Amino acid sequence: MELKICHLYPDVLNLYGDGGNIRCLTQRLHWRGIGASVTKMPIGARESLAGFDLVFIGGGQDFEQQVLLDDLHRGRDRELVAAIEDGVCVLAICGGYQMLGAYYETHEGERCDFVGALDLCTVGAKKRMIGNYMFRVPEELGGFTVVGFENHSGKTRLGSGVEPLGRVLAGFGNNGEDGTEGARYKNVFGTYSHGPLLPKNPAFADLLLRRALERKTGSGELSPLDDTLELMAHDEMCARLERSGK
Amino acid sequence: MSFRAFVAICLCKLLRGLSRVLRRGGTAMPGRWALKVCPELLSILARGVKTVAITGTNGKTTTARMIEQAFTEQGKSYFANRSGANLISGITTEFVMNSTLLGKCRKEYAVIECDEAAAVKVFPQLRPQVVVVTNLFRDQLDRYGEVTHTLENIRTALTSLREPITVCLNADCSLTASLRELHHEIRFFGIDRGAVPSGERSELSDASHCIRCKTEYEYDYITYGHLGGYRCPACGYRRPDADYAVTDIPAQTAEGSSIVLRARGKRYLAEVNLPAMYNVYNAIGAVAAVTEMGLGTEAAISAVASFKCGFGRMENFALGRVGAKLMLVKNPAGCNQVLDFLQNVKEKFVLVVCLNDRAADGTDVSWIWDAGFEKLCALSGRLEKVIVSGDRAPDMAVRIKYAGVDPRFVEIERDYEKLVTALESEDRLVCMIPTYTAMLELRETLIRHCGGDEFWV
Repeated sequence: MELKICHLYPDVLNLYGDGGNIRCLTQRLHWRGIGASVTKMPIGARESLAGFDLVFIGGGQDFEQQVLLDDLHRGRDRELVAAIEDGVCVLAICGGYQMLGAYYETHEGERCDFVGALDLCTVGAKKRMIGNYMFRVPEELGGFTVVGFENHSGKTRLGSGVEPLGRVLAGFGNNGEDGTEGARYKNVFGTYSHGPLLPKNPAFADLLLRRALERKTGSGELSPLDDTLELMAHDEMCARLERSGK
Repeated sequence: MSFRAFVAICLCKLLRGLSRVLRRGGTAMPGRWALKVCPELLSILARGVKTVAITGTNGKTTTARMIEQAFTEQGKSYFANRSGANLISGITTEFVMNSTLLGKCRKEYAVIECDEAAAVKVFPQLRPQVVVVTNLFRDQLDRYGEVTHTLENIRTALTSLREPITVCLNADCSLTASLRELHHEIRFFGIDRGAVPSGERSELSDASHCIRCKTEYEYDYITYGHLGGYRCPACGYRRPDADYAVTDIPAQTAEGSSIVLRARGKRYLAEVNLPAMYNVYNAIGAVAAVTEMGLGTEAAISAVASFKCGFGRMENFALGRVGAKLMLVKNPAGCNQVLDFLQNVKEKFVLVVCLNDRAADGTDVSWIWDAGFEKLCALSGRLEKVIVSGDRAPDMAVRIKYAGVDPRFVEIERDYEKLVTALESEDRLVCMIPTYTAMLELRETLIRHCGGDEFWV
């Protein structure tokens, strides 16, 4: 058995140690004796997204955004919508998360049309939202806390077609105003928590793996792993954010 | 000179003296107050001083110290700032401390390291005679933003200097070399094709697409990261020929490199008294700067051969039976170079990694996942223990675990006193790689235990 993972646009969406998430997923499968293959799909790749069990999209810099949009609008956008409707598990972070929404409007009012797979849009703000932050996912996903680092100037608003991924406990989240963080739709998880999100949130990593395995094999059961170090990193950041919040 | 400037100088000297007596506060605070009193103070003091300024992401401190070594050896009257004082406030303090109360500088030359984001404020007042831009890499995104943003900052800083000066640019860095269009005298330094076997193209390039037209670059060779012989197939933007070029590297060891270089059409054989490829870049950058400052290429070559950096950059300590090396890491590019250096260590060693996330380190520790700690797995047999420390020790431990190192070989020790005490009985080489603020604390502990230079603020 092998889980097929697609890393979409690793050449331009790779800003903040995003590779750590892929590394985390493959290692956690490997330690459980489950195989994993990672296919990188850079700009210009024409292979189909069909057949992948899990798609990962990271965050990027503004400099390469036009290169990315050109490629998306050559058909990759329709393919992403189809894969998402088909229940493929997707983790999209920061720029990649915004990209799945309907559009991005800059602070100056310039608008870029995005994929439109998720009912959300993003508007650029003047002030960047930067720092360690923490949110809690709803009970139906496990009710666990997630710690991460956010660094974005875009404010994302969710439409009625998606659920928030979690509620902000410390930090800004989607827009710093409505208390929501990220978005969830079918098996898509979008978040502002960039970089090494999964390694220190093993519950979130396993949630993604369970969803992907369930869709592929009908069973999402995972054997437990020793997460002592991971939880130490997680708990220390939780404690720090709680202290500074008081 | 105005009365305001006089008051500012007096205030600055007084505050600096007080902070020394009280052993509190650094070099930044006195300058900050002085600039409040007289905002153009630096420009007044810098008048008549021949200054070389060094900026860029990596290698500023080492390049500056190599240049400084040449000034020392040639018996020049000069002063230099320290890496902890590379913003406008700290630089102003250094100038005040080297000036009379009437604002006359006592030294002929200044060697000034300048933070890449601070250049916009510093350069117009400093009016350097020569500027070196070492390279541009992704660094502390929470503070500097995108790397192209840093590039534009430096471009603005250089554009603001109306009188043409000499600007030495790293030819192998496609971002840095794009500053060539300025009205200044441009000199390029770099490592030529064939000097080293080409490295592999990294997927995590900080500059994969053309700075002019955004087409993906093609490479004739890569030295490391995005540095090398790039060219754009669409618009023709390419690596320029280097005026100061390393043409061959006949030997590279854990102590240093032998290099053949070409400067102004002449060939030289030089020794670089520091290991690793990034120090070859620092050396050729220093050779360019020293030559352009008028001290001569021979003076530069002598300086890079005799130079000892210290202050956490490949600094040696008499710790344990074999000794310890302290190697500062700040970002993925620099960290990868240190990890490459570890591949060349022939003996058994213990690795200490200290990760802090304070303002000077960058508050976002995501970058550790962009550095190839997976290379540690190739060291099995030589690397027998990894100790992690610092404010974000568990994050580092997790990184090393996912790199594939057996967690049983990973220890967490957050108390530097205990860490160094335990390492005193170590019979293997100790390699320590801390981030900036971790380095300051660890180094202090090391000096207390095994001697060494005092912290030079």
